[in-house]
Amino acid sequence: MNTKQNTIEQLTTFYIGSDLFGIEVMKVQEVFRNPSVVPVPLAPNFVRGLINLRGQIATALGLRELFGRPTTELSDQMSVVCKIDGNLVSVIVDSIGDVVEVDGNRFEAVPETIPLNIRRYIKGIFKMDGVLLSVIDLDQLSKELSPAMESLN
Amino acid sequence: MSFSDQEIEEFKAEALELLEIAEKSLLALDSGAEFRPSFDAIFRGFHNLKGAAGMMELMELQAHTHELENILMSFKDGDSIPKPYISLFLRGIDGVKSILDGQKISFNYKMEQSTQVSPAQVQVTKVSEVPALALDEFVCECEEVIERISVGLQQLENGSYTSDTVDALYRDVHSLKGGAYLFSFSLVGDLAHAMESSLEKIRAGGHLPSTALINCLFKSIGVIESLIQRIKQKAPDKDFASIVSAIIRALNLSAEKLESRPTQKKEPEVETVSVVTPKEKESENEGTASIRVSVSLLDNLMALMGEMVLVRNQVLQYSNKSEDMEFLSMSKRLNAVTSEIQGEMMKTRMQPIGNVLNKFNRVVRDLSQELKKSITLNFHGADTELDKSLLEAIKDPLTHIVRNSCDHGIEAPEVRRKHGKSETGTINIKAYHEGGQVVIEVSDDGKGLHTDVLLRKAMEKGLITQEQANKLTEKEIYHLIFAPGFSTAAAVTNLSGRGVGMDVVRTNIERIGGTVEINGAAGIGTSIKIKIPLTLAIVPALIVKCGEGTFAIPQVKLEGLLRIDQSNTENRIETLHGALVYRLRGNILPLVDLNKVLGIETNNKIIDDNSIITIAVLNAEQCSFGVIIDEIHDTADIVVKPLNRLLKSLKVYSGATILGDGSVALIFDVVGISKVAQLGQENAQNAELDIQSEKARKTADLQDFLLVRLNSPAKHALALAYVNRLEEFKRKDIEYSGSQRVIRYRDIILPLVSASEHLGYASRKVESETFPVVVIQRSGQLFGLEVDEILDTLSTTLEMDTSLIPHPGIFGNLNTSEELIVVINPFELINREFPEGKIASVKTDNGLRILLVEDTVFFRKSMKHLFEERGYEVVTAEDGKEALDILNEHNQSFDLIVSDIEMPRMNGFQLATNVRKHPVFSKIPMLAISSRADKQYQTEGVKSGFDIYLEKLKPSVLLAAVVELTTKTRNVA
Repeated sequence: MNTKQNTIEQLTTFYIGSDLFGIEVMKVQEVFRNPSVVPVPLAPNFVRGLINLRGQIATALGLRELFGRPTTELSDQMSVVCKIDGNLVSVIVDSIGDVVEVDGNRFEAVPETIPLNIRRYIKGIFKMDGVLLSVIDLDQLSKELSPAMESLN
Repeated sequence: MSFSDQEIEEFKAEALELLEIAEKSLLALDSGAEFRPSFDAIFRGFHNLKGAAGMMELMELQAHTHELENILMSFKDGDSIPKPYISLFLRGIDGVKSILDGQKISFNYKMEQSTQVSPAQVQVTKVSEVPALALDEFVCECEEVIERISVGLQQLENGSYTSDTVDALYRDVHSLKGGAYLFSFSLVGDLAHAMESSLEKIRAGGHLPSTALINCLFKSIGVIESLIQRIKQKAPDKDFASIVSAIIRALNLSAEKLESRPTQKKEPEVETVSVVTPKEKESENEGTASIRVSVSLLDNLMALMGEMVLVRNQVLQYSNKSEDMEFLSMSKRLNAVTSEIQGEMMKTRMQPIGNVLNKFNRVVRDLSQELKKSITLNFHGADTELDKSLLEAIKDPLTHIVRNSCDHGIEAPEVRRKHGKSETGTINIKAYHEGGQVVIEVSDDGKGLHTDVLLRKAMEKGLITQEQANKLTEKEIYHLIFAPGFSTAAAVTNLSGRGVGMDVVRTNIERIGGTVEINGAAGIGTSIKIKIPLTLAIVPALIVKCGEGTFAIPQVKLEGLLRIDQSNTENRIETLHGALVYRLRGNILPLVDLNKVLGIETNNKIIDDNSIITIAVLNAEQCSFGVIIDEIHDTADIVVKPLNRLLKSLKVYSGATILGDGSVALIFDVVGISKVAQLGQENAQNAELDIQSEKARKTADLQDFLLVRLNSPAKHALALAYVNRLEEFKRKDIEYSGSQRVIRYRDIILPLVSASEHLGYASRKVESETFPVVVIQRSGQLFGLEVDEILDTLSTTLEMDTSLIPHPGIFGNLNTSEELIVVINPFELINREFPEGKIASVKTDNGLRILLVEDTVFFRKSMKHLFEERGYEVVTAEDGKEALDILNEHNQSFDLIVSDIEMPRMNGFQLATNVRKHPVFSKIPMLAISSRADKQYQTEGVKSGFDIYLEKLKPSVLLAAVVELTTKTRNVA
């Protein structure tokens, strides 16, 4: 991973509760408040539903539910839309932080003590001043959600 | 002077256009068009090109075209251009293209006297540098020509030909030759040349084609077809050289032997001729007015069209709220135009189904010769049009059906005569539109389907039990043909083989949203009806409400809608053992409450005497069922958007769509719903996937056990897969063979093995009159395992705990919530009394190595045991990842990989894909065994590289597959 070298990376940050998370800025397509989500019956609880994003369908993933935290009303939430391998994924988070520049030197692997169900979606930790920032592993997320193998054509 | 990029581009475009015209005219001349206009067009093309090249200071090009123009001028006053020169000009045009592409050429303008264009003359560039586009077109062209030649040859064979037919045939063969030599595909060229010369005599008249010659011609065209395929795949064709020369010899020989007969040519029936000729004319005319467009461009346009339909729907919805008259009329207009575009757009991808059907002439012809049967094939509605991608998708299934009809359907002539049928069997293929779908019916007048034969076969294969067999309706019996494992093994002949069973036919048809139905009266014939949608991207659907959600049901799966008034006591929903049913036209229609299936909380959905209930009657895999829905919304053309894998794995949705109001609706997968609903509501709710829990996947394998009582307080279990039968014998029937207790059982002597005794329990004193026996098969021999009592069966996903094995003959323990169940290994028990060596067992080849990949301890152990017993060396891995590691690290060679599908870290599909990609191991045969055996999994398994996909079942079936796969490789090696 390049981040280990002296590279500066830009991250879009957001909060769940008081915890700070980040996604590479280049992977984020847009951010908006109060997404209108159509629930999918029978889906696992972290799939909040589907969003119509100007004619494209995005799958909304609740980060709270994914990490096993108590769920909240969607109306207070923000949607961070990322495009992964041509799929639109909307990550539902509590609130949006700043875009921060981080130093690759301050990157560290996820400590082993973090439960696996969280650790598997986190690429690593940036040690910021006074706070730790967890970088979401979008590729892992997309792997779980990659489009059905036998889509049309 | 230099030119801007744009100028150069414009020049190139202009030049290509000119070349196009010249080329087209040349080809027109070649196929006998009027001389003057074509000549002028060619001349203008070259001349203008020369001028333009001069302008652009492209000296080389100018010189080249100048030279061509000069040669052309020598024919100015004539009335034809000799064929060799046409080829020369065509090559010249390719030369121009090469120059435009920036290549250097050396061109031979001299025309040698020989009519044969030798590839050596064409030294424009190396073959491999033939522009890809030109090559594609060549291949495309060839395929069309081959098609025409096939049709022509058939007419030659059945005598319905005229001199025109022969001329057309000759021309086609000739142009095939020319094209092949032009691209230096000498094998194709040589063969075509030989065909051409063998046709010459017939063309000149005075000779009738002999059967031998026609067969040779058919063979040649077959080989050319394969060669063209090779070219298409850019594969070498060297291995064909010997075949080609053999055929050429045969061609020449049979052409020489042609008996010269007086030209009392049969006057062909006028109809046949008139059918063929105008059609060809027509397509020629179309040809000049059409262009080739890449399919991907059309696909993009289709996708955009889909978006446009969406926007149109949104505008319409919005305009309904508006009072603005002008806006209203504009939106109406938009609506009309969009619909029209949509219709036209669809047409661009439409192709007549005849394109595929024509191929079957050959198939049927070859097969009838091979099988020594006489079969005629008739088409109706060959001009029925269908989306190109669908056409491709139905080609293989249809071929299989037709082959089946020839092979299994139509009887041999003598049999037919005996049954009072005409000796010639008939296969009819009928295609037509019906209700927005295309229906293709393949029917034959062969022996039809015998329900008893089907049932017997299905039972032999272990697909159904006798009990189930008694309950099946006629229709259900017919559909056994589509069951996986039914037809593949039955197809011992090489004809219907090809590794495609009828189950694959059905899977393929269903993948494109179609349905297959089979019907057949014994002795009269079989008919298979395929219904497929016109197109894939946009489907008509019914929009329904359920709970808070909006869902779409594809119209294809919808049989009807019912509105039931519960206050009407005559015709109402009834409850049958807790399930809801409705009597529909005399049949009991099972009902499914969608809210329950989807786990939607409902507060007021209690069916009482006053409620009015809406039911959609759906069709899933030949069975109808009704779903109770809250509300019917609308019908609409929806654009299907694929879902991601996670949501697709829920089984009940096939996609999503955006409705006119911009809201998202999920599209139901009707087959999936029927499956989920049959699991019962309990399972449906449990279907909530918990992907975070690795364990959930690990134990996804359901194991079936037979619970028995031995002389011990604990319950004992043995895997149901080992059990051959359960029997009850009378004590007094026990006889002795030496000291061995045996029972005479179905013509064999069944040795008895006491389970209690061998597990170290005291044998029971109480002697009842009868005693239960579990019949177990080991190495082809049956043994009776005596138990005290047969209790029950148990389906569990529990992992077996193997930490405590107190006694040989015990696999381990199942730790259920109530008690501990001891799992016994019946083979080991039998072995104690009858060591394997004592028995003349059918031991397979020793020294073969199997890599066994399985995450469940029980299956891993028992299969390992099973294989080792047969003399295989077994290495085990707990998942795909470990298996790959074993393969890689030890660089060991295995004769077979047996793998489970559902495994943590790396599943079976991924393993297969990886193995197949591996440079060293890609050839190892692979066998999948899984408790998931639905079609989708099977197809996926085969796609990812497994040779055989089996459901976890009887060891004998598994062993048979293992033997098959290992011997196959052996033979290959």
